[in-house]
Amino acid sequence: MIGILAFEFFRNAIFAGILASIACGIIGTYVVVKRMVSVSGGISHAAFGGIGIGYFLGIDPIYGAFAFTTGVAVFMSILKEKAQQNLDTIIAAMWAAGMATGIIFIALTPGYTPDLFSFLFGNILLVPTSDLVIMVLLVIVILVLVGLFHLQLMAVTFDEEYAEVMNIPVTWLSLLLLLLVALTVVMLIRIVGIILVIALLALPAAIAREFSGHLTHVMLLSTGFGLVFTMGGLWLSYVLDVPSGATIILLATAGYAVMLAIKKIQRDKSQLPATSE
Amino acid sequence: MAGPVIEVENVTFARNGNKVLDNVSFCVQPGDFYAIIGPNGGGKSTLLKIILGLLRPTGGKVRLLGGKPYETRWRCGYVPQFRTFDFHYPITVEEMVISGRLGHIPGIRKKYGSTDTRAAKETMERMGVQHLADREIRHLSGGEQQRVIIARALAGDPSLLLLDEPTVFVDAPTEVHFYDIINDLRSSMTIVLVTHDIGVIYSHVTRVACLNHSLYTHNGREITDDMITSAYQCPVDLIAHGLPHRVLRNHDREDSD
Repeated sequence: MIGILAFEFFRNAIFAGILASIACGIIGTYVVVKRMVSVSGGISHAAFGGIGIGYFLGIDPIYGAFAFTTGVAVFMSILKEKAQQNLDTIIAAMWAAGMATGIIFIALTPGYTPDLFSFLFGNILLVPTSDLVIMVLLVIVILVLVGLFHLQLMAVTFDEEYAEVMNIPVTWLSLLLLLLVALTVVMLIRIVGIILVIALLALPAAIAREFSGHLTHVMLLSTGFGLVFTMGGLWLSYVLDVPSGATIILLATAGYAVMLAIKKIQRDKSQLPATSE
Repeated sequence: MAGPVIEVENVTFARNGNKVLDNVSFCVQPGDFYAIIGPNGGGKSTLLKIILGLLRPTGGKVRLLGGKPYETRWRCGYVPQFRTFDFHYPITVEEMVISGRLGHIPGIRKKYGSTDTRAAKETMERMGVQHLADREIRHLSGGEQQRVIIARALAGDPSLLLLDEPTVFVDAPTEVHFYDIINDLRSSMTIVLVTHDIGVIYSHVTRVACLNHSLYTHNGREITDDMITSAYQCPVDLIAHGLPHRVLRNHDREDSD
């Protein structure tokens, strides 16, 4: 196991896991507390459209995904403001339309598209060094923006209406948050793939939320859980010789199930006759 | 402050083609304790949201604290009728109460100072929730939650307090305590109270209006038969919980006290 660290692809995988855990820990926490899980699912699937366009134009599909999801995030927040539609329906439309766009553009691209599978299900062992640079930049951007707007983002994610009464720029901050979600989702595509992204984004934060009552503590704890799942998943997938993305997600889901079980036991205990009081 | 606190002029609001507010005009003066009563669905919450600039009226003009609502609303305390937030959000009582100070902090990068901490502490004491300061809001009872929501509205030292059905979620003892607190606040701020329950209109109100799409006002604090009949379009005993005119008679007695 130690010997494998000599390989660059494995070191890259570890760095990618750490960076992804930080991004997920922070952005995933907002996603969970603001109940944006399905929005994030929509954005990640819509990213497939960007990947298809990237292939078609002959650029790195991940850049296509970055550009496309950014557009989708902006478009969605405009629709939400103007169209007065049920957000659920907008998400479903975007989710499917994005994937459909991807399929059309890939079909229009001449030749064979080799690593489509890795975009759908991810492969942490294939993260190139150039992607690591993007990840570092993104994590820095997230840390700076969240540090700068911490109280305002908290106000907006907690109670939009009251934030508006206090003249906090709710529309802009919601858009900012949506953009950060979009960028994080694309960054995670390399690791766990479009279809599995949502679990890595939401589960560590959902588990952390149960064990902490402060937004910042949830973020830190969530980053920790993310590290356990990505590193543990990477190791397990190596030992068992199975796909890494899927292993990471199953580990996270198992962690979530364990948390639910612990909570259930705690609840049952507290519902026993209150002998301690 | 010189001018009126709230000026609402011919405000109309339609939602999906239905008129929620029809040509509503009224004025709240500094120091008023203005009660707006009316049946559910009569447009009371909508009117408060228009006053705060959260909704744009279809027609008419609103001035709040001498300016446009979106410029001056940060100086208001607001207690909405429906919980506009998720009680499972990871936030403590103190964090929530102090967030009522955000409107006072200028600039992009907001940070709480010692004034904010002190104001939050004072309002938590006033609402009797200081012992819960470090507790997560999801672990509060309904009455405690409501007191925290009111504490947040008071944390910003508002010039105007807008209360939308503030006692709906609280038990009777809390309700009594709550009206004592409102009474204390009257000397330092203007208050607008919205309720569907005529029973809560009590002796300290300075003006009463009835709202059921149109607003029926009266120069003074009595609710007249006319106002009630026009606003509710149903016999008074229905809304006075089977005790016809009891509220009105109570009112008269309190008048002569």
